[in-house]
Amino acid sequence: MDVNGKLFKKFLERQAAYEQQQGKSAAEKQHSKGKLTARERIDLLFDNNTFEEIDAFSTAAPSGGEFGRIVTAYGDGVIIGHGKINGRLAFAYAQDFAIMGGSLGAVHATKISKIQDMALKMGAPIIGLIDSGGARIQEGVSSLAGYAGIFNRNVRASGVIPQISVIMGPAAGGAVYSPSITDFVFMTNKTSYMFVTGPNVVKEVLNEDVSFDDLGGAMVHMKKSGIAHFVYEDEENTIRGLQKLLTYLPSNNLENPPIIDLRDTEERIEERLREIVPDDPNKPYDIKEVINLIIDKGSFFEVSEGFAMNIVVGFARLKGKTIGIIANQPKVLAGTLDINSSVKSARFIRFCDSFNIPILTFEDVPGFLPGLDQEHNGIIRHGAKLLYAYADATVPKITVILRKSYGGAYCVMNSKNLGGDFNFAWPTAEIAVMGPEGAVSILYRKELLESDDPAKLKKDLALKYREEIANPYVADEKGYIDEVIDPAVTRKKLISAFEALENKHVNVPSRKHGNIPL
Amino acid sequence: MKIKSLLIANRGEIAVRIDATAKRMGIKTFGIKTQKESNAYYLRVVDEIVDFTDTVEELPEFLDIERIIAAVKSHNIQAIHPGYGFLAESPYFAKRCEEENIIFIGPSASAIYKMGNKTIAKQIATKHKVPLLQGSIGNVKNPQEAIVIADKIGYPVILKAAAGGGGRGMRIVEKASQMEKMFKMATSEAEKAFNDPSVFIEKYVRNPRHIEFQVFGDKFGNFIHLGERECSIQRKHQKLIEESPSSALNDKLRKEMGEAAIRIAQAVDYYSAGTVEFLLDADKNFYFMEMNTRIQVEHPVTEMVTDTDLIELQIRVAQNEKLPLKQKDVQLNGWAIECRINAEDVQGGFSPSIGTIQKIVYPRSKNIRIDTGVIDMSVVTPYYDSMVAKLIVHAETREKALLACVNALKKFWVKGIKTTIPFCIQVLNHKKFKKGDFNTSFIEKEMDQIFHQEEEYEMLAAYVAAFDFAAELENERTTFVNFEQGKNISPWVLNKRIRSI
Amino acid sequence: MKFYKKKKQTTNEYIAVSPKDKKYKILNPFGEEVTVNGKKTDIKIFESEEGFTYIVYKNKKYLVEITDKNQNKYTVMINGVSYSFTVESPISYLRKKYLAKHQTKNKVEMVIAPMPGKIIDLLVEENAEIKVGEPVLILEAMKMQNEISSHVGGKVKKIHVKQNDSVAKDDVLIEIEQ
Repeated sequence: MDVNGKLFKKFLERQAAYEQQQGKSAAEKQHSKGKLTARERIDLLFDNNTFEEIDAFSTAAPSGGEFGRIVTAYGDGVIIGHGKINGRLAFAYAQDFAIMGGSLGAVHATKISKIQDMALKMGAPIIGLIDSGGARIQEGVSSLAGYAGIFNRNVRASGVIPQISVIMGPAAGGAVYSPSITDFVFMTNKTSYMFVTGPNVVKEVLNEDVSFDDLGGAMVHMKKSGIAHFVYEDEENTIRGLQKLLTYLPSNNLENPPIIDLRDTEERIEERLREIVPDDPNKPYDIKEVINLIIDKGSFFEVSEGFAMNIVVGFARLKGKTIGIIANQPKVLAGTLDINSSVKSARFIRFCDSFNIPILTFEDVPGFLPGLDQEHNGIIRHGAKLLYAYADATVPKITVILRKSYGGAYCVMNSKNLGGDFNFAWPTAEIAVMGPEGAVSILYRKELLESDDPAKLKKDLALKYREEIANPYVADEKGYIDEVIDPAVTRKKLISAFEALENKHVNVPSRKHGNIPL
Repeated sequence: MKIKSLLIANRGEIAVRIDATAKRMGIKTFGIKTQKESNAYYLRVVDEIVDFTDTVEELPEFLDIERIIAAVKSHNIQAIHPGYGFLAESPYFAKRCEEENIIFIGPSASAIYKMGNKTIAKQIATKHKVPLLQGSIGNVKNPQEAIVIADKIGYPVILKAAAGGGGRGMRIVEKASQMEKMFKMATSEAEKAFNDPSVFIEKYVRNPRHIEFQVFGDKFGNFIHLGERECSIQRKHQKLIEESPSSALNDKLRKEMGEAAIRIAQAVDYYSAGTVEFLLDADKNFYFMEMNTRIQVEHPVTEMVTDTDLIELQIRVAQNEKLPLKQKDVQLNGWAIECRINAEDVQGGFSPSIGTIQKIVYPRSKNIRIDTGVIDMSVVTPYYDSMVAKLIVHAETREKALLACVNALKKFWVKGIKTTIPFCIQVLNHKKFKKGDFNTSFIEKEMDQIFHQEEEYEMLAAYVAAFDFAAELENERTTFVNFEQGKNISPWVLNKRIRSI
Repeated sequence: MKFYKKKKQTTNEYIAVSPKDKKYKILNPFGEEVTVNGKKTDIKIFESEEGFTYIVYKNKKYLVEITDKNQNKYTVMINGVSYSFTVESPISYLRKKYLAKHQTKNKVEMVIAPMPGKIIDLLVEENAEIKVGEPVLILEAMKMQNEISSHVGGKVKKIHVKQNDSVAKDDVLIEIEQ
């Protein structure tokens, strides 16, 4: 080919035009809103010089009618391609707000679908960087069809490859459903929003004034709706968070998760663990302190930190290997299970099971949260999700009972007969149908009524109940607990237990899929 | 009769302090273990533990007289040292000990009772010609009556709401012409605040200093005083820094006040350690406030300048020995300063800082004494007071003591909680404090900044934050993630995994 | 196709911003030559045998401790005195500046419990107007009563606690509408 000839000149011209389109003026506009451009985000996400863009020059389909105007631009408002993150293949698409507000038209959608298909074929994670005004009105039904195509692929890929959405600007209307199907949603505080109907519609229909932030800001989705799993203060930290999450995940559902050697000793004995759980059963403590003392140092990566804080879930490493942790948090609502915490942990368990991540449960649960509100909103149905998720999971499952383990909550939290592979208990454990006070009031109602000093009698009986029933030894003797362990050596016990379970496999009956109580 | 075994009915540093002396005297010590602090340091130093953890009573452990007495009986312990706070000044507790034939290390129940009752204490002071703050007997009905009383006791005077507290319904009256107006304001404010307009009148001491005398008596009528302590650095009536001697006293005044203190003690047949508190006004007039019938938190400054062990004296007096010292043997040598190191966030308005003390180190030398009840990994709980340690420094002069104290504070490192160390440094560096020119309103009036900070602190903190942040980024960048290993799965699993999909 | 040829490098520039918007631009925190606000500064960080972290600056030792850290928000204690910062990159610093200018303040602010304790007394009622720094309730911890005051002024929207309630650290006590 003649590099000075016509053919090559055309090639260079296109390059130059594209470069100009992505150039300074577009960047400044985004920067002035405190946001980065789609290009800069992609650049931050992938390792140096590893991103390869495809379909850079596709342009919007010409609209049929005269209504509205379509700006013809290279790429049609989305960048797609592949590259390496920490040296591993990943696929991504990044919507470009600078072009028609990142609106989704037919070509835009086709590009996203294309990259989704590739990721699924290759068995590699897909990441969506979302910054879009929504469906492109000018293109009508075509853009809606585009959304539907994306959702369909999201569902097909669910549980096969990790799908992660990063909301870095608006995501409105139908656009929110793609992120909600994906495994994890990141949001950047103060500059990203998600809602099905925006403030204008709320104002029109309900005559209520509500700001973007109050309706669908990152904090709302972190703390109230639970839709955002991670919220960061700026875009660079958001992308850092995403990269960190990926280090815990395998590329697809056939692989095992990656390993990072954190040089933490296997035999580490933590005497502090003997002291953390207070003797007084009503005294709170921070379960995260327990978690951090047992796992590889500094490896806990919490998911949904601000939502349903009565349960703590997240990824961690044990001898370098990824595990998923589910732990009751006695510090919040005494660690009871309620609707939100059941749903939060159930979805996390489903994720871990899909991607071969072993599950570790730390249990200190006095029961389900009582109350009209909980019952009427279906704690039965939602609690069943957690139970179903635990029982359905075929990955290695280990439970450590730290303190309370009462009633239905005992069964639900990966008990032996629900399918726990190893069930350990600390000497502080209390396993029974209910707490001492409740049990005594039922069993000795008559005696208590007739007693001269019911308070004292109740206390004495409660003490006896604790000694005879609510302790780990009864369960240990009956085999519902495999071993009562010294808290200080929990780490060692868990490492060897997970090692024993490494090649665990369970044959499940053939079926299309189970019917989880959604 | 020698005491052979002793229950320390207290916790924290004072329990450790009492244990040290008792051990030296060959006494077997017992400590009380509570559920609130079942791993506290004082439990490691005592010889044996009395376990109160099995049941939690509503009454706090260290206040539960009958439980403590029962424990002493069942463990065959001879004596109880109550420390300070808790039951130290409960006449009922002292009496119960007497009844049960337990040696209570402290004064007699009747002395505790008399000094604990403000009215009786004041009567005793008047009777023994110890100056008191003059005032009305009962409430004052009208401004005219107030003027008559004020003329008698001398201006300035203060009108105080009978029902009150917290500064509301208080008015200072400088001269008779102001009385009518101030009386009205005080009563209406009292009415509003407490629903009760009655006020009383008292001599007003402007910017007083808090001076207290350590007295000691035995059961044979011998009395000595061990000089004074100056405790004017206070916040909301909490003493924070104490010293001995006081820069406000000279030998003549010391003798006069010391003798007054002894007169009070004599009047109630006092034995064991006691502290007589005075207010000292700008013209060096002193007024009796109250007597504390126990060992004080700040007793070490007295021990340092008099070279005594007050706990030892307490025990010896309790086992019916005579005081080994005469007044002429008591010499004040040099200067001692005590800083209370509390787990408090000074910047956050002295709010408690609870948590685990991850590390604690402090300077050691022969003129530095540290009394503490904590070690590495001790937990500061919300159940007890916030004091974690006392730093006591002794030197030849006040100037040298101040300097040594600041240096020691800078080497006192605590990790995990916030402490009052920056506050103490700020006080010790204050010009007026250095000159000895201060009084009880020093903290609110003289300190524009309540903690010590140097110009470069903020910059250095910014650097540390940036360093840590950068280190984390670097760590993420260089961490090797072994994705390949994830693909090496044993065929056993992989085949089954594939088949079951 | 490859678009960006520019080499990605981790910038070695960090900006620590105090709550009062005081800015410390720090270049090269790891390097031999640390620069703070354009001035070469000789600071070294050490770990003592006992496990303390301290820095040496101009031949003086300073005890340091990171007491709180959440993403890029830091609280650092130097010789017992606390300072707060957010650590920004040059890009996120621009964003911070933009947001400070363009974002309206949160309408509802929370007064949270700074420590666990018991509510002794409520000093305000719902719908009362309060000023910045006005005490709103008394919380007892460590046998001391602590006045908890509002960091913002406005109307008391909701009171979440009652007298004698026990609260945990960080519990929301009162909501205030600005």
